[in-house]
Amino acid sequence: MTTLIMIDQPPYGAWTGREALDMAFSLAAFDQSASLLFTGPGVNWLRQTQHAGGIEQKSVEKNLTAAPIFGMDAILADRAACIAYGLDEHSLIEGVTLVDADADLLTDYDHTAFAG
Amino acid sequence: MSETFTLVITGAPYSSQAPQTALGFAKAAVDAGHQIDRVFLYGDGVHLASALCAPPSDETHWPDEWSRFLTQHKIPGVACIASALRRGLVNETEQKRYELPSANLRAPFEIAGLGEWVEGRIKSTRTLYFHAGD
Repeated sequence: MTTLIMIDQPPYGAWTGREALDMAFSLAAFDQSASLLFTGPGVNWLRQTQHAGGIEQKSVEKNLTAAPIFGMDAILADRAACIAYGLDEHSLIEGVTLVDADADLLTDYDHTAFAG
Repeated sequence: MSETFTLVITGAPYSSQAPQTALGFAKAAVDAGHQIDRVFLYGDGVHLASALCAPPSDETHWPDEWSRFLTQHKIPGVACIASALRRGLVNETEQKRYELPSANLRAPFEIAGLGEWVEGRIKSTRTLYFHAGD
């Protein structure tokens, strides 16, 4: 059973993105196939060198770059959203695969879920 | 064909429609002969398991309605422990662990990890999510 956890909200404004990451890491911890897809403003989670300490939050950059070690299948980002937010291979964290987040992509997964 | 559902509620009562939509679905599913494997509360959804909600008497008491439904049909209700602790929802074990002034978990809900959600997905034919919609 393959699962795609989707994050479509920007980081820091709400807790749902963080809780979506927990869901994905939890699936991986239980040996379930899981990937993350960032779309819309959610792609900003993948921007390098975020300094979240200024608002007393923690950056998730380290968690995301370590995702393969924890057994996550893939970190996917919608190509069009990355272009819209000025993100390219130089500004994205390592290990991100650009995709077209369309209906065809979703057919590759048995389950899809948002955290909220 | 009979289905087995895991329901995930992420919207809080009185700030979203999620808990009552989920309850409407759950009742219809049971009436139609389907099974509910478990109900998992995640994120703001954990507020549904609070024993301290006291809505006005002319409004539906959604936590109470859910408790009665779960008890009547012997369906496990589980609040995610990480979501619950962050939002001030604790059972007696967590109250003692964190030396908090009181426990407020409503029966028959229990507190457990995301593994309950993972297991529910595996055991169920369908997993449905009830979000706040904002």
